[in-house]
Amino acid sequence: MATEFEGKIKSTPEMSPKEIEEMRSTMESVSRKVIAENIERMKKTWPNRPKTMQYFDEISNFFGKRLEEIRAQKEADKKIIGYSCMFAPIELILAADAIPVRIDSGWYDAAKLGDTIVAVEVCPVIRSTIGTQMVNLSPYLELSDAIIISLTCDGRTKLSEILRDDKTVWTMCPPRMKDSPHSRKLWVEEVKAIKEKIEDLTGTEITRKRLRSAIELTQRASKAFRRFQKIRKGNPVIMGRDAMLVNQTSMWDDIKRWTQKTEELCDELKNRIAQKKWACPPDTPRVMVTGTPMIWPDSWKIPNLIEEANPQGVLVVDELCSGDRLLYDPVGVDEWTMSDMMDAVAERYLLASTCPCFTSEHGNDDRINWLLDRIKEYRVDGVIYYVLRGCILYAMEYARIKRILESIDVPVYYLDTEYTREDVGQMKTRVEAFLEMLETRVAL
Amino acid sequence: MITAGIDMGTQSVKVAILKDGEILSSGFTFCGFKPKEAAEQAFKEALRKANLSFDNVEHVTATGAGADKAINFDSTISMMGADAQAGAYFFPSARTIIDVGAEEARAVSCDENGNMLNFVLNSRCAAGAGTFIEAMARALEVKLEELGPLSLKAEKASPINASCVIFAESDVVSLIHRQESKPEIARAIYDAMADRISSMVRRLGIKPHVALIGGVAKDVGFVTSLKRKLGTELLIPKEPVFGGSVGAALTAAKRIG
Repeated sequence: MATEFEGKIKSTPEMSPKEIEEMRSTMESVSRKVIAENIERMKKTWPNRPKTMQYFDEISNFFGKRLEEIRAQKEADKKIIGYSCMFAPIELILAADAIPVRIDSGWYDAAKLGDTIVAVEVCPVIRSTIGTQMVNLSPYLELSDAIIISLTCDGRTKLSEILRDDKTVWTMCPPRMKDSPHSRKLWVEEVKAIKEKIEDLTGTEITRKRLRSAIELTQRASKAFRRFQKIRKGNPVIMGRDAMLVNQTSMWDDIKRWTQKTEELCDELKNRIAQKKWACPPDTPRVMVTGTPMIWPDSWKIPNLIEEANPQGVLVVDELCSGDRLLYDPVGVDEWTMSDMMDAVAERYLLASTCPCFTSEHGNDDRINWLLDRIKEYRVDGVIYYVLRGCILYAMEYARIKRILESIDVPVYYLDTEYTREDVGQMKTRVEAFLEMLETRVAL
Repeated sequence: MITAGIDMGTQSVKVAILKDGEILSSGFTFCGFKPKEAAEQAFKEALRKANLSFDNVEHVTATGAGADKAINFDSTISMMGADAQAGAYFFPSARTIIDVGAEEARAVSCDENGNMLNFVLNSRCAAGAGTFIEAMARALEVKLEELGPLSLKAEKASPINASCVIFAESDVVSLIHRQESKPEIARAIYDAMADRISSMVRRLGIKPHVALIGGVAKDVGFVTSLKRKLGTELLIPKEPVFGGSVGAALTAAKRIG
């Protein structure tokens, strides 16, 4: 039941439009600079970077071409549906002819602003998302007509309340155990409920035909995505940061065009494999990152360090919800009936997830299996276990994963950091020492 | 074969010169605000002591937090890599090397050839390093070199919070107000610091033998507390402060090898 303060007292304090605009424009100019710098750094590390990458560079600019497109579509009465976490069923959004955009924030400066609302112990992705909302730093968040927030972790659960200050927020509640029949039933109901909300907002009924074509669209995206990840199994034909950029742009790009461009990039990379034109020497230590998401642009901090280090490393694979997990799992439909399709969409999100918010009698076995499979398939020399301080779930799962990886003689390093640029020196010390260790092992 | 290692620490620069695996000489300078000049000075000191000129040195490897600000170096190695080299050099049986410097404590596990197998660092807080001892000596109004011997006179231990230098200082002030004796407060300071470092080393795993290098290894109060917390003997070289620079010089020798 609503309290008497509902709609009267918000989580965030009132700020004057002038103050908001000043902060927004300062942060935006820093962000533009960081985006441009990151791209320059990627080009410098990989001098023969394929031309196709230019497309993804362009899409990676939050204040560029893609924003103009989304703005134009909004003016033409299309709805924009933002989402936090990868549990929002984008097939339903696409089926209602709306535009899905992920709004989890990778802006360090916005996290500082979020610190004024919630304690620094809170995960920086959450603090930063609060900060972006306060000053409208994220144009995608600002343009969103509704935001879907999955209550996967504590941070997101409370984020949903804070974003409700200014936004229409729809929550989805995944169960913490995914392998029981009643868990699955609950999740399917959540997906059905969100379908109705999307239909109400857009005024578009999600018909069987519409849903089928949306599913086919993401299935094609998954196919391209898988093809792309598979290419990275061999000698390094693409640097990890560039692959991460391709992955992440799928979170806000037009999915059909993204699929086509990713296929084009794959074609080019295939040619390069035939010519043995590697992005870096094939004996470069092969690194995997696992843990909390690394969100463009500021969280390129660690990937930059890894691939620019002396000795250099190359990111060949990751286990991140901002990376190789994004479109990996396609919707698997048996029969193109409405209820089968809805079940299949629900399953793609729940069953495929390796997020540590889940547990089972066997622990988070899906994540462990993912890690072990990838380590083998991608010939991983060492794992960086990346944790943003405040993420209890990833921090706690380390205890066992560390021991499992050690038991198969795979070096793993726990790298904990914050949304800050000030610890780059300390991070560099750690990353370089780890790579030095891997280099020695590779040489032996 | 003559090589040199230069360790650009946060507080001081150390240089070691090696000839065919033997330490010829060393040089030491506090950094101040001009690290490059300090490096030059330490280098000159070491060369003078060894009666060499720079041209005699075949390869220089730099290490330390400011490795990239060293002078005349041919290559770099991480601090942990240098620790592993140095530890195995001083004590061939050592498999765990702890290095406690001014601003940072770290531990490395290594093989018999000084190859680093794993490492841990303290998390960005000086409460587990030399600067902490300096701040605490100031709070107790005793000279830095007196704090260690003083702590050995303590009859009991009083716990303090050493999660951060500032909190620790306020805890120390309340011990002073409670009129605890200076030796006991001194002991509390070392115990707190040793506690932090021992839990860090335990995360890595304690493989015997354990060696301790870095400037703080000279402090008898710290060494006594750390031995007690780890429950193990510590191997300490005669000049532990030069550990990093020796490790770098050994790396230099391997690189021309």
